Amino acid sequence: MNKFLFTMTVTVGLALASAAAQSAEGIPEYHDPLVDLTIDTVGTNYQFERSSLDALKIHDPIEGFNRRMYRFNGQFDEYIYLPALNAYKTVTPRVVRTGVSNVFANLADVPNLANSLVQGKLKKSGRTTARLLFNTTLGVLGIFDVAKAMGLPQEPEDFGQTLGYYGVPTGPYLVLPLLGPSTLRDTAGRAVDWSIEDTAAYLDNRSYMNDNPWSYGLYAINLRYINGFRYGSLDSPFEYDQVRYLYIKLRELQIKQ
Amino acid sequence: MNRYLHFICACLAAWMGSVALADEPSGYPITNPFLATIVGTPPELVWPVPDETEIRQTDLAVRVLPERHLPPVLSRYQELHYRLAWHNQPAPLVFLIAGTSSGYDSPRLDYLKRAFWQAGMHVIVLSSPTNHDFIAAASHSGLPGLGEHDARDLHGAMSLAVEHAQAKTDLQITEYRLAGFSLGALNAAFVAHLDSDLQQFNFSRTLLLNPPVDLYASIQRLDALARTQVEGVYGANSFYEHIFQKLARYFESGGTDIESGLFYDIQTSDNALTDAEMAMLVGAVFRFAAADLNFMADLITEGGRYAPAGEALKVSTSLTPYLRRALFCDFGCYLETQLWPDWSNRNEGKTIEDMALETSLYGIADFLREDQSIAALTNADDFILNADNYQFIADTFGDRAFLYPHGGHGGNLQYLDTVKQILAFMEGDGHE
Repeated sequence: MNKFLFTMTVTVGLALASAAAQSAEGIPEYHDPLVDLTIDTVGTNYQFERSSLDALKIHDPIEGFNRRMYRFNGQFDEYIYLPALNAYKTVTPRVVRTGVSNVFANLADVPNLANSLVQGKLKKSGRTTARLLFNTTLGVLGIFDVAKAMGLPQEPEDFGQTLGYYGVPTGPYLVLPLLGPSTLRDTAGRAVDWSIEDTAAYLDNRSYMNDNPWSYGLYAINLRYINGFRYGSLDSPFEYDQVRYLYIKLRELQIKQ
Repeated sequence: MNRYLHFICACLAAWMGSVALADEPSGYPITNPFLATIVGTPPELVWPVPDETEIRQTDLAVRVLPERHLPPVLSRYQELHYRLAWHNQPAPLVFLIAGTSSGYDSPRLDYLKRAFWQAGMHVIVLSSPTNHDFIAAASHSGLPGLGEHDARDLHGAMSLAVEHAQAKTDLQITEYRLAGFSLGALNAAFVAHLDSDLQQFNFSRTLLLNPPVDLYASIQRLDALARTQVEGVYGANSFYEHIFQKLARYFESGGTDIESGLFYDIQTSDNALTDAEMAMLVGAVFRFAAADLNFMADLITEGGRYAPAGEALKVSTSLTPYLRRALFCDFGCYLETQLWPDWSNRNEGKTIEDMALETSLYGIADFLREDQSIAALTNADDFILNADNYQFIADTFGDRAFLYPHGGHGGNLQYLDTVKQILAFMEGDGHE
């Protein structure tokens, strides 16, 4: 069936359906969403409780330290990081902020590429390489994210993911100062990524950054700018527990990609 | 609904955002109420509002209960935090009240705040009286869930917040308006009712967005969602693992990047989420909200059910064991173990049905029917309502009831026509 005919059929069908859905008084007719579900009686099947208890079993041997660090990060965010970020947003136009994000994202493509190669994801590596080339040559150091416009989104691959890909277990949960949730494996991975960026010295960026210390400030601000998470945003006294579980699960998903 | 839902469903939203859209010529397009509740409005159909960064706004905090002492882990909630968006000229001020277990900073309210602000109003956003920060900072009894009590707490907090905001900024107010979402809508109705006696704010407009009618009927329905039978989850299986495995299978079978949001094909794949799975997901989010409420109310009233009474919880204290216990108590359980014993002590000879009636819109039906400045907006497939509740809204509000066939619980609140209607009422166009 061609698209026009299909649309016509659907439109006519829906017009009939919606005419039927108006009750006598002209208000939309009530529909009970629960009516088609099979619902257990209270106390017969503890599916929610069992699943939730299971989700709370996460290896967190230095929980006291982690919780203090989590609180510290939240306060640092509130009193220093976010005010700085707001000032940054006030004084710079969006196109500049996007440009800054793109420059740092472009530099981070180097460890992305290395990690894609190590994991044998050749197709992905090909795309990342293409992205790197497009961005640097066409996009003037990636200021305009040409690659994205061309349909090649950035594919984050970090060494923590690479380790996970080869079956290295996560190890204990860790909350890092300023950087937030991590694990022992991912912390090691992050260190390796930094040294890859350093060794590759792509476009001589590290020495440029060392000569211009303000660029590290910009790096830090940008890191916060591109991260939408806000402490306290889960609206729960148990936010620490929820973030811990979600971090572990989302990393697992990333590794499976 | 609380922000946790948005977080846990962040990938689902991207994953399913563009699917299950019927080709309806007009009207909100997602006809599945659970999907609508989770993914909201497709971006191309959202009423455009300015960016967060373009809004003149700030977060402020005011001390409401000077005598309350909180343990270090809750020290942040000595003061009640609220969000103010304002203009540099005199304008009407809208109070916006969040839904069950949601804070003043939840994204759904941020959107409504931007819509009202753009229409020329000042906005003060307040946390739900059931949210942990409000319980700690502004609930006199520490036991939210009673219509009149919550309204008194809110009304007091609103007065303080306005005075405080005027002292801190150049805020100039011409008149007051009121809106709330979900449980916050029920709160708004009771605050408007209380204010009609007190004559303090004299709200020129009150809008109830997806209100429950009989709070305890809605609670039973929400509790039931978390007991939905999900195919493939039996015995020792975990529901969350089941969902994550489904996502993982999708990615392994060549699904797209998690960050890129290109998940157009998922709902046609073998790994699409079923209605039961989405219902369970929504139910689970509300059960976590119930756990928060149980834990916080018990902590403030020193009941000792979850955290030991009298022990000062430190920042480093693991709350996980208390969460484990609180997870077993749903909203119905909160009602029975905490709210009802306290209420029946003060109301001898009355039944739990009396308590329920006092916290329902049925209890203030005459006021709602007669006051032309109050309107309600809801959907025919909002799962917090039963058929009687829905009919009550239609009958009571008459032509001030804005009813839509689809949208679930608040899924259509950013949809073009819905926002147009909301603003038309709040600005006073085409009414009276």
